[in-house]
Amino acid sequence: MITLESVSKRYGSRTVIHDLSFSVEKGEIVGFLGPNGSGKTTTLRMIAGYTTATAGRVSVAGYDMASQNESAAPHIGYLPEHPPLYDTLDVTAYLRFVAKAKGVARAEMAGELDRVVAACRLEDVARREIYKLSKGYRQRVGLAQALLGKPQVLLLDEPTIGLDPGQLHEARDIIRSFGAEHAVLFSTHILSEVTMICKRVAIINHGRLLAIDSPSGLQRALEQTNRVSLQVSLPPHGVSGGRPADELRQELLSVDGVRTVEAEADGDRLQVECQIEPRDGVEAAIARAVAPRWPLHSLGRQEPTLENIFLQYVSEG
Amino acid sequence: MNGVLAVYQKELRLYFRSPIAYFVMAIFLVGTGYFFTYSIFLTGNARMTETFHNMAILLLLVLPVVSMRLFTSEYNGRTMELLATLPLRPWQIVLGKFAGSVTILLLMTAGTLIDVVPLYLFGNPEGMTILSGYIGFILLGMTCLAIGQLFSALTQNQIVAALITVAVLLAFWFIANAQRFQTSYAWRNLLGYLSFSRHFEEFVQGLVRTESVIFYLVVCAIVLVLNTSYLHWQR
Repeated sequence: MITLESVSKRYGSRTVIHDLSFSVEKGEIVGFLGPNGSGKTTTLRMIAGYTTATAGRVSVAGYDMASQNESAAPHIGYLPEHPPLYDTLDVTAYLRFVAKAKGVARAEMAGELDRVVAACRLEDVARREIYKLSKGYRQRVGLAQALLGKPQVLLLDEPTIGLDPGQLHEARDIIRSFGAEHAVLFSTHILSEVTMICKRVAIINHGRLLAIDSPSGLQRALEQTNRVSLQVSLPPHGVSGGRPADELRQELLSVDGVRTVEAEADGDRLQVECQIEPRDGVEAAIARAVAPRWPLHSLGRQEPTLENIFLQYVSEG
Repeated sequence: MNGVLAVYQKELRLYFRSPIAYFVMAIFLVGTGYFFTYSIFLTGNARMTETFHNMAILLLLVLPVVSMRLFTSEYNGRTMELLATLPLRPWQIVLGKFAGSVTILLLMTAGTLIDVVPLYLFGNPEGMTILSGYIGFILLGMTCLAIGQLFSALTQNQIVAALITVAVLLAFWFIANAQRFQTSYAWRNLLGYLSFSRHFEEFVQGLVRTESVIFYLVVCAIVLVLNTSYLHWQR
């Protein structure tokens, strides 16, 4: 439904998007994750047809956005980063304008307005002027305008930013409910949101795509560098020869599946971090190797959180 | 045409939801009322000639206030992103907005018709001359709005848009005065032809010449096409 092929965007001599390629299919919610200024908004604007790509090809619903953006526009619902609202209009008048501009027929107008008002839970404020609305409601009005005309593609630029926890929950529910019928691409820098809502995550930084996979796929990929941390006491009978930390490191490195070991003395204990291969049983092997000589206090495998994954990708990128 | 209609209706709603339309109309009607009363009592003739001259000058100062918000408010309210990504073509946006501001002009013009009533009650005015004056007035107003709309698209700031528009309109109003500094016949001719006031004068005198009607319509069309091209270029 949305396809980007080697897309780049330059402003003067500054390149903000480098060779970006990915696609979003119908029935899929893809999270677009990146720090501020990473190129998320520019990418969404290119897909929405607000700006054109300098190189590469963006296509939506089969239309090339460089030459056929007017044909593609009816298939796109777009909520920009700042909801584009006319403050002095009331909610219904605003939605009616957007619906008319999207070509909703007069006979279907009332039904279509009711549908999006209900989907975004705007019944209570339908007759209120937009400048009187809270931030959460403004965001929902923005979302409602994107839904008008039943577009196949929904582009949402940070739709949950600035919402309180209650509104956040509702907004996520609303976005999730769109997933079945639309191809949804939504940008965010809230990591937990992505695991809750998305089928796939695209991580972008400095205008480059660093990874695109399911949240669990990314997690698995990062488990390649899985870490185990353990804490042991110094052996009661002392160590033979060298420093205890070096001794323990040697012992751990001889365990099958351990890649690297960092050990640090902390009073009468040793704090150890091991990078291990992503398979079961390595922790048990470590425990077996250490326990006879080094009283073991704790041993745990660090599950990579999405936050760690994100930070790792962003720092590598 | 649905796209034009959607933009047009939205513009009208926005005009009447803000104090600008009421304020501008009030100023204009008070101003024209004053000029009308003043010239009628001064001359004692049942004519609108003097009033039309003053109305035109007032128009050059007041219409930029109507047109200044047409695009700048879209930029400042960040709604341009919506307009540009809706299934609207740039010419539909330009035409819808233009039609909205022309409606305000027509309402302003309709308000001045009240001045004509005492002319008919107490005198015997030339109806066709007044009609031709009004045709010229509306054509001049449409041209002013088109120019104002273009400058509103070119800048982000409403005040800057209004000031540039006033400057350009006054320049075209007085451009014929530069004729006396020109010795070349072609230049003198061109300056005279470009003068908004020369063409308007003919309408006020009761002369509806095709050349003048076409002049205003062509200037309008050129400026609106430039406006549309600018929107295309912005992408």
